[in-house]
Amino acid sequence: MVDALRRAHRMVNPAGSVVDLHPSAAPASVEVAGCRTGHVDADDAPLRHAAAGVALAAVIEEVLFAVDRTVVFSFYTYGDTIEELRDHVVENWRNARIGDETVERTREVLRSASGVRPRIREEVHLTTLRPLTPRSARGAAVVA
Amino acid sequence: MAIDEDPEGHEIAALDAMVSFASRRVLEIGCGDGRLTERYAHDAASVVAIDPDADAISALAMVLPKVDARAIGFEELRLPPASIDIVLFAWSL
Repeated sequence: MVDALRRAHRMVNPAGSVVDLHPSAAPASVEVAGCRTGHVDADDAPLRHAAAGVALAAVIEEVLFAVDRTVVFSFYTYGDTIEELRDHVVENWRNARIGDETVERTREVLRSASGVRPRIREEVHLTTLRPLTPRSARGAAVVA
Repeated sequence: MAIDEDPEGHEIAALDAMVSFASRRVLEIGCGDGRLTERYAHDAASVVAIDPDADAISALAMVLPKVDARAIGFEELRLPPASIDIVLFAWSL
């Protein structure tokens, strides 16, 4: 991950930006009408997502980049049924699944909530990085 | 089957609030089938979109023929230094 950011630093215009989008280390939740019914089990996702944050910190420490801005937002994935969401996760997410308990609990809530679609909520971090040149890095160090 | 990803547009809204794609040269790493690419490509001067998933890249190329879509990993990509205005790691770091 750090190597990828170093490569990005070489490719980006000094006046340009590097933008990173990655989910937080918290498990994605399954929701019906805004109520949490369970979560997505993901074997290594928390570690992978935490590692992205560590990589960003490393290149900032190397004074290759300075953080411009960071924002956190919710990314929702909707299905017509919880089974559809379950299958989507198995087919498209890495080493992840919605467990039987969450599926059953979501079914129960859906039975009393007509016209509502189940959804998965992921918390996503968006960070914009400004590349630093040796000259601007000296300035950044002074400011810091 | 009707999976809808981010129908509210939270992702592109957050991106638009942080960076402008207008007339910029963009490199997107981990573009997949272009779910995010198609939301900004029309504004950009050029887009290079890469992903190791060849099927996903084929799907993107069908929908966005003007995008330079390549089925490769980032370590295989060769571009001149300082030739990109925005490097976007799309859930791929």
